[in-house]
Amino acid sequence: MPSMKQMTIFFVTSSVVGSCNLKYSYDLLLQYLQKTQSLAMLGVINEHINFEVLPGQPSTISDDAEVVALVGNSQDLAKQINQKEVHWGLLEDSVEERLERALSDSEKAEVENKEVELEDTKKRSTEGGKQGASVKKLKKDKLVGAMGKNVRSETSMVSMAPRVKPELTLPMMPIEVEHSILDDLRNRVQLSSLALPSVSFYTFLNTHNGLNCSSISQDGSFVAGGFSDSSLKVWDMSKIGQPAKICSCDDRKSTSGCCFYGGNKLVACRTNSQGENGPTQSDHLQGSDEGKRPYTLFQGHAGPVYSSTFSPLGDFLLSSSSDSTIRLWSNKLKANLVCYKGHNYPVWDVQFSPVGHYFASASHDRTARIWSMERIQPLRIMAGHLSDVDCVQWHVNSNYIATGSSDKTVRLWDVQSGECVRIFIGHRSMVLSLAMSPDGRYMASGDEDGTIMMWDLSTGRCVSPLMGHNSCVWTLAFSCEGTLLASGSADCTVKLWDVTSSTKALKMEDNKASCTNRLRLLKALPTKATPVYSLRFSRRNLLFAAGALSKLS
Amino acid sequence: MSTVPKEMIEVIAQSIGIANLSPDVALALAPDVEYRLREIMQEAIKCMRHSKRTVLTADDVDGALSLRNVEPIYGFASGDPLRFKRAVGHKDLFYIDDRDMDLKEVIEAPLSKAPLDIAVVAHWLAIEGVQPAIPENAPLEAIVAPSESKRSEHGKEDALPVDIKLPVKHVLSRELQMYFDKITELTLSRSESVLFKEALVSLATDPGLHPLVPYFSYFIADEVARSLNELPVLFALMRVIRSLLRNPHIHIEPYLHQLMPSMITCLVAKKLGHRIADNHWELRDFSANLVSTVCRRFGHVYHNLQSRLTKTLIHAFLDPSKALTQHYGAIQGLSALGPGVVRLLILPNLETYMQLLEPEMQLDKQKNEMKRKEAWRVYGSLLCAAGKCLYDRLKLFPGLLSPSTRSLRRIKGRVATNMPNKRKSSTSLLSQQPPLKKLATDASMGSITPISLTANMQGATDVFPSQSSNSGIIQSSSSGQISKDTLSGAIRRDKGGAQPQKSSAVLSQAWKEDLDAGHLLTSLFELFGEGIFSFTQPAEMSFFL
Repeated sequence: MPSMKQMTIFFVTSSVVGSCNLKYSYDLLLQYLQKTQSLAMLGVINEHINFEVLPGQPSTISDDAEVVALVGNSQDLAKQINQKEVHWGLLEDSVEERLERALSDSEKAEVENKEVELEDTKKRSTEGGKQGASVKKLKKDKLVGAMGKNVRSETSMVSMAPRVKPELTLPMMPIEVEHSILDDLRNRVQLSSLALPSVSFYTFLNTHNGLNCSSISQDGSFVAGGFSDSSLKVWDMSKIGQPAKICSCDDRKSTSGCCFYGGNKLVACRTNSQGENGPTQSDHLQGSDEGKRPYTLFQGHAGPVYSSTFSPLGDFLLSSSSDSTIRLWSNKLKANLVCYKGHNYPVWDVQFSPVGHYFASASHDRTARIWSMERIQPLRIMAGHLSDVDCVQWHVNSNYIATGSSDKTVRLWDVQSGECVRIFIGHRSMVLSLAMSPDGRYMASGDEDGTIMMWDLSTGRCVSPLMGHNSCVWTLAFSCEGTLLASGSADCTVKLWDVTSSTKALKMEDNKASCTNRLRLLKALPTKATPVYSLRFSRRNLLFAAGALSKLS
Repeated sequence: MSTVPKEMIEVIAQSIGIANLSPDVALALAPDVEYRLREIMQEAIKCMRHSKRTVLTADDVDGALSLRNVEPIYGFASGDPLRFKRAVGHKDLFYIDDRDMDLKEVIEAPLSKAPLDIAVVAHWLAIEGVQPAIPENAPLEAIVAPSESKRSEHGKEDALPVDIKLPVKHVLSRELQMYFDKITELTLSRSESVLFKEALVSLATDPGLHPLVPYFSYFIADEVARSLNELPVLFALMRVIRSLLRNPHIHIEPYLHQLMPSMITCLVAKKLGHRIADNHWELRDFSANLVSTVCRRFGHVYHNLQSRLTKTLIHAFLDPSKALTQHYGAIQGLSALGPGVVRLLILPNLETYMQLLEPEMQLDKQKNEMKRKEAWRVYGSLLCAAGKCLYDRLKLFPGLLSPSTRSLRRIKGRVATNMPNKRKSSTSLLSQQPPLKKLATDASMGSITPISLTANMQGATDVFPSQSSNSGIIQSSSSGQISKDTLSGAIRRDKGGAQPQKSSAVLSQAWKEDLDAGHLLTSLFELFGEGIFSFTQPAEMSFFL
């Protein structure tokens, strides 16, 4: 091999275990080669590969593109794959788009009005600029105006995303559902680095280390937990405050009800001020629930339940288990409808597509599969990962899925063709969570070490790593207009990140100062000894989080 | 490649009855076993991650084994993490701490309660990005601006003079009631346990305890009055108060009027505890610190708080009919309030008090050993209070006792001429040392030898006349004054005669701000001997040495 240069492989690991493992793998390889007498190969290795394990903190992620060795793919292959075209735009004629269109006219008029007003005030201020106070006030007004415009421009950024045609046949949306979505969109709270979301936290108590996963329905009214005793339990949070027999508690019922149903920030705050200890009272009542369970118990799996997901409308529930099956449950009938068999090993993750009907699963058998609710066989099998597929996430336009794996890569797959269209290399450990930005262009992935990476789907490159968590990132969620990223971790915090700063820095690609495109940590919200298992933004931008209270150490 | 040595394979082979295992087999098996083990562990870690845990359990290993179609290992059914113990004498050898249990006992034991069912509760982790301070949230930072909000409320009240308070029904949640019961039980009966310490930490940090504060303050006031003979209980109660005071989420001001009498009781009560061996001194010290903490924290809000407290204490201190234990408590309380209070209230009365105290301390006059001990305690606390006060003064005027170059220059070379004199005198005066030494009380705590000290002082007197001319300047005169006073004191003692009005005058003037620390030191030295010197800084001592 004359073309091969002297290559030095450095492994820098922060953990003793990691370095031991690497050394062990290398020894294993040499031993195998010696045993099989493949002297040619040994010669090549001895001549060209210089193996060293350096203990210490790894360097920053951005400056080594050579992590290929860890991945097992050649750089060329990855490059070749990453050159394929990805249509990351949003779906044509979505509800959001229709709303925007409807609103745009009235809004334009409003903006114009404001500008006129601003001009007026400017004139006035120049005329009577003696009074400092008034000038200040005017400035404030201007600021507010500018902010308002900013927010608007951000929302329109989402709408500016290119449109694509759906590759799957999409299910029909009932008209009343569409109305409720439109209603939610109109009442959506605009989030930004200045306006942080409210977070409602669902804490699982008395789980005794048995809770494996949790998921929250779109409006936050249902919470499901998958347990290691093969059961799946669903709580109706809107009913949890309701006493069984005690009357004259309509007040509390209605407040907690509108909190959980509405998902509106304003409603939420009002509820809080009114019934501060609503939740604490409610769990008293649960205890005296005359022997009846406060939750719906779904039994059917024959192994620990590793993942569950609500359909977008909240009427179905999917769960995946170590018994290699996926089960579909009806939330209305409280019964199992279908058992999907196809994987050969534990199914680590299952996710409904954003439009419903379709779902994707990820398994220990190193494949991800696409299913539709009406067929018991998978529609597509995505094979290519070198180790377990640990998590899966749909793209907003439902034409792609992303999978994170124990081989430390994230891949993007075309749902229609089943091809791998992107490989994202850069994580240093198992990828545990994924999230897609609502504009379809970015993806966030979180790993075992606590690193979160933002990826640009079109280029396949990492926008910036987000350092801050010091343990596994179990869950990630983008806010509805894509300005914030929320992450939940085993270190018992929910962290909120400013996403706009990074994407804007990327747009101005000429100033490539690395410090500018580092995402900003806006806020860390510590919980009380509760690792955060799942996060979900409601359509009105209320953030729901769930986790199991672990013993205080 | 050597985690599993071939010897291990041989041992395992022997244990399952294969006696003659050829070494080749062991050598080949060892790496294979290691590979399998590593593989299982790798899979087990995956199972752990997907169970959203960061601690590996036996279940995870079982899951990994079933992935490989291997029968799981039985006997590790508990979901709790295993407890390993280090084998004695081996660094890396661990075993599971598996105690033998008597089956009969297990069977005969009453059935344990069924575990609570899984429940989900909701709370607000954040409202518009701000975490509300509710018990469900981790205690983040203390409530910062309660006083401000209060002030604004007061402002509103001014505008609306009529403040109608409707009767509010106070509802205490069951959890809080249980918490309260638990804490009171611990305080009264098990104040030595580790659990009580945990409870104190919880009292000092938990943000959700405010509803319990009235109950706690009532409980404390009640119990202090009731169990004056139970020293451990009193101590525990004081600890509870301290924790409550430390809790940044509690506004304890409205309950201070209830807590203060209890604290003062524990400080100046005649008798605390029913046994002679009870160390009530410690309790008094503890309460003194508590009281001073309260004054420091809330003194600016309640202006008469400190004045009322000091009035009570000085009353106890100055009443000769009160027991010495009460005097001790009063002195401790006053000295904890700061050197200013000591100067104002203790020092002026020091002279007379010492006259009262001295006979109590002497073996031939006070036959009761308990009483004598108490007197010595009081003496110690007085010394401490005076010493702290002195230290504070010295700190205030650091140049006071150090030979500054300026004062030396003012002496205009006389020092130089006096130097040999000085040395001479100091050596000559060594002979004078015995009587002075005799004066020093046996409670000597200082590290300086009286020889050099007195010698220096005497030597310095030579400089004095030259300085008296410009005595208007405190700095330069101070050293002279000291020596003069000391000298006079020494003379007084040598003669056995008295010049007491001098030192008592100094002490009675002690409250004045511009008090000369030198005077103070001298007077205190007269009363306490060189025990007082342990309170002066080494830098200042350089003057004497």
